[in-house]
Amino acid sequence: MIGIVDYGLGNLTSVAGAVAKLGFKPDVTSDAARLEAADKLILPGVGAFTDGMANLQARGLIDILNDLVVKRRKPILGICLGFQLLGQSSSEFGDTAGLGWIDAPVTRLQPEDASLRVPHVGWNDLSQTRPACVLFDGIEDGALFYFVHSYRMETPPDGSEIGTCDYGGAFTAAVQKGNVFGTQFHPEKSQQAGLTLLANYLEKA
Amino acid sequence: MLRNRLITVLTFNGGTLFRTKLFEPDYRYTHNFVDSWSVDEIVMLDVTRDPGADKSAFYEVVTQFAKECFVPLAVGGGIRNMDDVRAMMAAGGDKVVVNSGAVERPEFITEIAEAYGRQCVVLSIDARKSDDLEGGYEVFSHFAARPTGKTPAGWAAEGEQLGAGEIMITSVERDGSLQGYDIPLCRQVSDAVTLPVLGMAGAGNWKHFVEGVEQGGLSAVCTQNIYHFTETSIASAKKFMEKKGIPVRL
Repeated sequence: MIGIVDYGLGNLTSVAGAVAKLGFKPDVTSDAARLEAADKLILPGVGAFTDGMANLQARGLIDILNDLVVKRRKPILGICLGFQLLGQSSSEFGDTAGLGWIDAPVTRLQPEDASLRVPHVGWNDLSQTRPACVLFDGIEDGALFYFVHSYRMETPPDGSEIGTCDYGGAFTAAVQKGNVFGTQFHPEKSQQAGLTLLANYLEKA
Repeated sequence: MLRNRLITVLTFNGGTLFRTKLFEPDYRYTHNFVDSWSVDEIVMLDVTRDPGADKSAFYEVVTQFAKECFVPLAVGGGIRNMDDVRAMMAAGGDKVVVNSGAVERPEFITEIAEAYGRQCVVLSIDARKSDDLEGGYEVFSHFAARPTGKTPAGWAAEGEQLGAGEIMITSVERDGSLQGYDIPLCRQVSDAVTLPVLGMAGAGNWKHFVEGVEQGGLSAVCTQNIYHFTETSIASAKKFMEKKGIPVRL
């Protein structure tokens, strides 16, 4: 069973659909017992960081996730907003504290080339800065993934970055630190490369 | 490098895939083609005109389609309130496309953006040529039947302020014409916003995609006429674009 954390934001249907397609049972829930029973967790989400943390808090999920992920080392994959929530804080709508599992702030994407549009929407190359990470098994360096975001995580100083993407400057596009995984892009919407990455997480992480 | 997108737009009437040049419904196109073709994104629009019509047939089609869709899926048609948005998202949409609902009540854009994030809101704008308005175009709503007095550039900029994440601009006159995108229209809109702009209506050959990107400033080129789109033709369109120097996902 794969616990997909439901905190009222985002494309849970898409993530659950991809998990099911790969032969695993998704359980979309915010219930502590069901999340505890899951083999692995996925923290999806699209939308604003402040809302994301507020919704997690309102459902009592911050304590639950800290217990499951930090204390009991259950694997978790953050996707898009879920990835950003892994960080220390975000400057979106004032300063908001994140889950803090990855030691990096989330700040607005500011491409050096002013003609580049924000949000960054579409297919872009993922450069594997740590190709040995299990998420990248069978995925070639530079494979294309689907991104949609206006904020980005700054480079974590602790070496947890595993991949970058370039959009008027390189930014951290994927991280892994122990049992904590995260991708700024949407593997569930990135066709074959995305499904491979998701399968790697589900089978090997 | 970010790739320019090639988007396929599918229109449905009462839950049936609706094509303007081939009248028999044929679902072969909608089964599994997303994985085998190199399309970058799908837009599904309910164009059923009866406002009282049962939407469940469309939701059912979206639900079934979304299960096998591993590229972004935008859904729309007749979205007027947050219940409609929730239903579309629950069916498996990643984004919603709003048009007349936003013209009627512009703050609707903000409501969706606040609930789901601005990347979830595609503001679709249908424009006709106009002799009266600055720029030479006017926005029409309600299946392009109702004039709004707005200019496409002005409405797009307002939409960005209100919280839209992408703009889809459609030329009513070019719909089904195969004569190419209305480039000045696309340019006006893409110059008016910093958001990605999706161009729609008129693509008849691969050169039109290149023009849309290079001259129209489009981030994505859309096509509705799937009759011409076989497995090899999307790939061939993209190869053509790449040869012309446009970054695409092959």
